[in-house]
Amino acid sequence: MSEASSPLISLHQVHKRFGGSLEALRGVSFDVRAGEFVALLGPSGCGKSTVLRLVAGLEAASAGRVSAPALDDGGGATAFVFQEPTLMPWASVFDNVWLPLRLAQRSRAACAPLVRQVLATVGLADFERAYPAQLSGGMKMRASIARALVTQPRVLLMDEPFAALDDITRQKLNGDLLRWWAEQRLAALFVTHSVAEAVFLSQRVLVMSVRPGRIVAEVAIDEPYPRTAAFRSHPAFVDACRRLGEALEHAAA
Amino acid sequence: MKMKLLPALVLIGLVLAWELLVRAAGIPAYTLPAPSLVLATLIANFGSLAGSWWFTLKITFGALALACAGGVLIASVFALSPTLERALLPVAVVLQVTPIVAVAPLILIYVQSTTAALLLCAWIVAFFPILSNTVVGLRTADANLRDLFRLYRATPWQRLALLRMPSALPYFLAGLKISGGLALIGAVTAEMVAGAAGRETGLASRILEASFRTETPKMFAALALLVLTGVLIFTLFNALSRAVLGPWHASESSRTD
Amino acid sequence: MANRIALAATLALAAVAVQAQDKVTFATNWKAQAAHGGFYQAVADGTYRKFGLDVTIQQGGPQVNNRPLLPAGRIDFLMTGNLLHSFDNVKNKVPTVVVAAIFQKDPQALMAHPGQGYEKFEALKNAPLALVAKDGQFSWWQWLKVAHGFNDEALKPYNYNLGPFLANPKAIQQGYSVAEPIYVENQGHFKPVVHLLADHGFSTYSTVIEARTDTVKNKPDLVQRFVDASIIGWVNYLYGNRKTASALMIKDNPEMTEAEMEASVALMKSQGIVDSGEAASNGIGAMNAERIKDFYDQMVKAGLYKAGEVDLAQVATLQFVNKKAGQDIKAKLGGK
Repeated sequence: MSEASSPLISLHQVHKRFGGSLEALRGVSFDVRAGEFVALLGPSGCGKSTVLRLVAGLEAASAGRVSAPALDDGGGATAFVFQEPTLMPWASVFDNVWLPLRLAQRSRAACAPLVRQVLATVGLADFERAYPAQLSGGMKMRASIARALVTQPRVLLMDEPFAALDDITRQKLNGDLLRWWAEQRLAALFVTHSVAEAVFLSQRVLVMSVRPGRIVAEVAIDEPYPRTAAFRSHPAFVDACRRLGEALEHAAA
Repeated sequence: MKMKLLPALVLIGLVLAWELLVRAAGIPAYTLPAPSLVLATLIANFGSLAGSWWFTLKITFGALALACAGGVLIASVFALSPTLERALLPVAVVLQVTPIVAVAPLILIYVQSTTAALLLCAWIVAFFPILSNTVVGLRTADANLRDLFRLYRATPWQRLALLRMPSALPYFLAGLKISGGLALIGAVTAEMVAGAAGRETGLASRILEASFRTETPKMFAALALLVLTGVLIFTLFNALSRAVLGPWHASESSRTD
Repeated sequence: MANRIALAATLALAAVAVQAQDKVTFATNWKAQAAHGGFYQAVADGTYRKFGLDVTIQQGGPQVNNRPLLPAGRIDFLMTGNLLHSFDNVKNKVPTVVVAAIFQKDPQALMAHPGQGYEKFEALKNAPLALVAKDGQFSWWQWLKVAHGFNDEALKPYNYNLGPFLANPKAIQQGYSVAEPIYVENQGHFKPVVHLLADHGFSTYSTVIEARTDTVKNKPDLVQRFVDASIIGWVNYLYGNRKTASALMIKDNPEMTEAEMEASVALMKSQGIVDSGEAASNGIGAMNAERIKDFYDQMVKAGLYKAGEVDLAQVATLQFVNKKAGQDIKAKLGGK
């Protein structure tokens, strides 16, 4: 269990309106503590990506309070993994992973050990000189995650990162992600519309309603870490999936 | 292997047909010389034609280098300042659409050095495709990458150098391919109008001279060198594009998944 | 009865003559000016028609190169400014030949601003700017380079616009001694210094008529008629009523004025360009082989050609001139 400390991320009655007429979020409130893994689950268009962008400081709330490391200090404490690998196609894997540090004015040579270490963590140690065009979808996503981890962030935001991958790769990456998260002791906020993925990965699953989005349910997943593939057949897993499925149906109503 | 040979075979076929036509129809050399005569003339005059060829190459590549520098520089300025872009882009467009044939005589009057005038004429036609392509390219950086750069607090300069310029590279190279040919056309057109002056003269002047003296085979020989130059430029920039973009851009990659 | 037969015969002949007009295209080497006057006269007063020719005059220009049109068969006769072109043609086996030489003296000249040190011919080669059109650049300018030390550094194209010359006191410019100085006086309000190339060794015939050799071989009658009609046109232009010819030239070249053309005619007469020397005795258009050879030898000496490189017998044919054509008309008009 995480210590009782003030939350790393906090949203309080956050409203978000786009272009004056599109109400994306209405009164979203939740916290994420250091070291917690929280999933945001909801149907398409419910605004879960918008929540992530607010926490990353890429959007500003129309009303309410958002507090997160990204909004305070100069970059690096918050990492973002997009649904697309979002790698620079003209740069090697090494240079892609180096980018966040490079933008912080740190030299290639100085960063090399760190880059190599994080590449080893995600299993791409042999590919540092490859170009993204030469990698498979799963490998590109690993590179993207490696880039996210290279600044040793406190917050890891992930926007349906595995949605475009096949099931086998996806499940493997789910397991790997948990390992990396455990090593780094990050606070992770993971957006997905896959119930199974949310249950497998997180300690808490927040269910969002359709637009205008708000948190309508929260399900705790008590299974301790490390979680293995066997967890997927566990009755607690199945039960959690059932409860979340019901909550989603209500949310869509 | 067969596919690669095809264009070469077509060209050889055309040249052979030309030779046969001239011989069969007995066309005189001063009207349409046979390829064999053109080749012989080229070899016989190669000494003097080579000097003119070198001059034309200097003007063409000189203008192209200046067009790259100017185009990329101005495109970068536009990228950093949308106001400047809105203000100055019409000027660039006017430069683009003014026919160089009409402007060249004026430039030759106003500019003292003929070489500078020729460079300027060739630059005017070559610069716009690089500018407009690079401007577009600088705008096309992936939206998520842009967010990523924001997240890590990139400075505008870092954004330009590390994100927008590499994103613009395929567009720039596409513009370069176009401008390469145009620089040659500009150099030749300007020289045709100038009618040659000064110690050094290019292939266009030699063509004019041969035309006025009814030395038609020499005209064709100089023309052949010009065509060869155009082909070389095209091949060069194609190879450059493949080398630079090959590993990562769809336009040059041969992967089909 | 005989009268009626004669009348019928005349009418028939006239009908045949009208129907049998040969279509002829004659290209000049500049925009229409008094130096082309005789040809336009022959069109304007019907002389060509009388000789059974339907002549179209196609004017040239400073940037135009119509030389290839003659061997290609697109034109029938071509006006050439000097014999260098003809030497080049024979050298390159282009089948054309000179059939008449309208100008006994080449009026090609270089002009300069007065009081700028160009009073002597030798000073011209040091001018920082020499304005020369393409036709000249590839003929007499080449001679000036080898024979008199001119160089290409100064050369810039002359586009029939006096502006650059007038604006730059150190500039020199090509012109016909009978034409450009008049325009310079009108536009620039000063009398330019004029150096005639003919006075410094450029002894060529000028405004020669070139034809294809196969025209000469297969239609000598046509060539003779064109030459004779052109000569008569020149006689009428110089000594008779020029008004319709002038109007025709202004139509082709609206920048020309009648006053300029009149002044030009006066200069042509006073400088003995057309009707002097041989032409005075043998008729306008006169040529002789010695003079052609002499000019060629001068050019060989100057380094433009090698001895024996050009077969001079093929340069010109004398069969159509030296027949005193037009002299009777000249006498009738008073010949002044």
